[in-house]
Amino acid sequence: MVEDDATIADFVSKGLAEAGHAVDVARDGEQGVELALKGGYDAAIVDVMLPRLDGLALIDRIRARGVLTPVLILSARRTVDDRVKGLQAGGDDYLTKPFAFAELLARLQALIRRSTGQTEPTRLSLGSLSLDLLSRRAERDGRAIDLRPREYELLEYLLRNQGRVLTKTMILSHVWGYNFNPGTNVVDVLVSRLREKIDRDFEPKLLHTVRGVGYVLKAS
Amino acid sequence: MGMAPHLENEEPIPRIGLRLAAWYAVVFVVTSIAIVLLTYRLLAASLEERDQQLVISTLREYSERYAEGGLRSLADAVEIEQRSGRRERMFVRVVRGTSETLFLSAPYAWSDFDVSRLRGLGGLEEILSESGTARLEVASAHLADGTLLQVGKSSENREALLARYRTVLAIISLVIVALALAGGVIVTRSTLQPIRQLIAAVRGIIRTGRIDARVPVREERDAIDELSALFNEMLDRITTLIRGMEHALDNVAHDLRTPMTRLRGVAERALQTDDVQAHREALVTSLEESERILAMLDTLMDISEAETGTMRLEVTAVPIAPLVGEVVELYENIAEDKRIDVSTDVETGLTVPADATRLRQALANLMDNAIKYTSSGGRVEIKARRDGILARIDVTDTGIGIAQHDLPRVWERLYRGDQSRTERGLGLGLSLVRAIVVAHGGAVDVSAEPGRGSTFTIRLPIDRPGPSITRM
Repeated sequence: MVEDDATIADFVSKGLAEAGHAVDVARDGEQGVELALKGGYDAAIVDVMLPRLDGLALIDRIRARGVLTPVLILSARRTVDDRVKGLQAGGDDYLTKPFAFAELLARLQALIRRSTGQTEPTRLSLGSLSLDLLSRRAERDGRAIDLRPREYELLEYLLRNQGRVLTKTMILSHVWGYNFNPGTNVVDVLVSRLREKIDRDFEPKLLHTVRGVGYVLKAS
Repeated sequence: MGMAPHLENEEPIPRIGLRLAAWYAVVFVVTSIAIVLLTYRLLAASLEERDQQLVISTLREYSERYAEGGLRSLADAVEIEQRSGRRERMFVRVVRGTSETLFLSAPYAWSDFDVSRLRGLGGLEEILSESGTARLEVASAHLADGTLLQVGKSSENREALLARYRTVLAIISLVIVALALAGGVIVTRSTLQPIRQLIAAVRGIIRTGRIDARVPVREERDAIDELSALFNEMLDRITTLIRGMEHALDNVAHDLRTPMTRLRGVAERALQTDDVQAHREALVTSLEESERILAMLDTLMDISEAETGTMRLEVTAVPIAPLVGEVVELYENIAEDKRIDVSTDVETGLTVPADATRLRQALANLMDNAIKYTSSGGRVEIKARRDGILARIDVTDTGIGIAQHDLPRVWERLYRGDQSRTERGLGLGLSLVRAIVVAHGGAVDVSAEPGRGSTFTIRLPIDRPGPSITRM
């Protein structure tokens, strides 16, 4: 991680350590290049505004030296730089500040998954809950569950990220493709409908609310 | 961003001025000198021709006299004419054979012409004086008795005249050069004056940061005045933009203070208790509050960008029906929960040039509003149809309506009517709707009746893409 703000670097590296990742932190761009060139990293988190060498220049430099480590770019600008958008084509991703740690983790793991070329499963499951991605059928304890299209998309998203907290913003943009917040929380309503179907008549409960942050699908 | 480089350097304008003045002077001097040289050549040629004609006519006259009265008569005529000064002094010689001079009359001063070099051929002959300063032009004629009559004239007088003329011309040329330089400087000065004023104005603006300064524009509408006028126009635009941004920044700062205060209050209260559960509650509230602040910041930025005309619109032909469908689908669950009947009535094939994401955002906000303020069992209808050159979209609800005195103010930022205060919301939705629609070159409207419901209307131009960046 290349980040000059000590607090952010600290909470991100602690969070990633808890999620089972080892993190090295560089405080400026030059130091970041040195780390990246040493190699051996699954992914890099790079802030755009950095002392000595800015984040985009850092990426240019390590790419020029043949380092293909996927990069998650952190930007404090709301309107994303076209150059950052361009980088996405190269398998990188960006996140704007302020961000929810849950979202950072999810995106980072997606980056790593993509770069290590993990095969797509055809079936997702958690405990007695399973979702067949080909027939688009869900069942729990062997009982078929009838899902509407948005409920299906939400469940697939939760199952792919089981154990990780998904924020309302992430769900809104993933399920509906909306990048803005419509006042009334349509996410809450969709989640409670899905919960009706997959949790109400079953034990243990799987879909949990993490107050102030979002939702998580997990066994306990 | 670094400071713009200071324009203290005075170089460019004087260099342009110098070049202009030099060009002016060069062209002026070259033309004048060409005219002077031409005049000189014409004068010299006509003087020479006059002398030659004089020589020839004198030769003819003397040969007639010789034919009438012989050498004696010729000698007398020459003598009388030269004494009386009736004729300019000429060279007259009568030769027999090749070298026997029978008669010679020439001023003493002309003695350095070597007349023996005259060959006595027809036409005009020239011999140079020994000193090389003058020429003797001689015409010859064979007389009846076989003698040769030679009449000549020295170019001395002519040369002296031309020499004086040359002196005069040299003086005139010097005057011309002086005039050219002075003229060049004056012309350059007056041409560059407006540019200098422009530079002074720009420099003043950069130094003082006062963008309300303007460049003086003269009455003549030439290119430079146009430049000045355009520059002023550009400054006007910049001023409007900066005012808009300052205004927006003020608003954002102001609007964020309230939620920031709430956030701070929650944290402070939590610190005054040791109850772990209360701490957890406070943290949750803080997170929610920070989400709200972020949402608010985003919305305020959107409004400001749309209002100042800096919002980037990716305009394409947007079909209305699927857009309305998406928005209805987004609120489907909530409408169902509240048992609100949502219906749509969209004219088929209706398309507007718009930024699809922004337009969807505007519609979603109107829909959000309609659902929020309509109670259980009510109805919400979205109608869209062509209305002349406009596309008209109505969002009608059977909700609480809006009091007459609140109607004009619903579009204001953070304005919430008395009846809407109980509902959660940012109070920014309708401002955003208006800002987005206006940025597309459209207009918004609202009509309502308290207790019966409201209708929000969006009108968008169908043919023309909405002006985006250039709108002030």
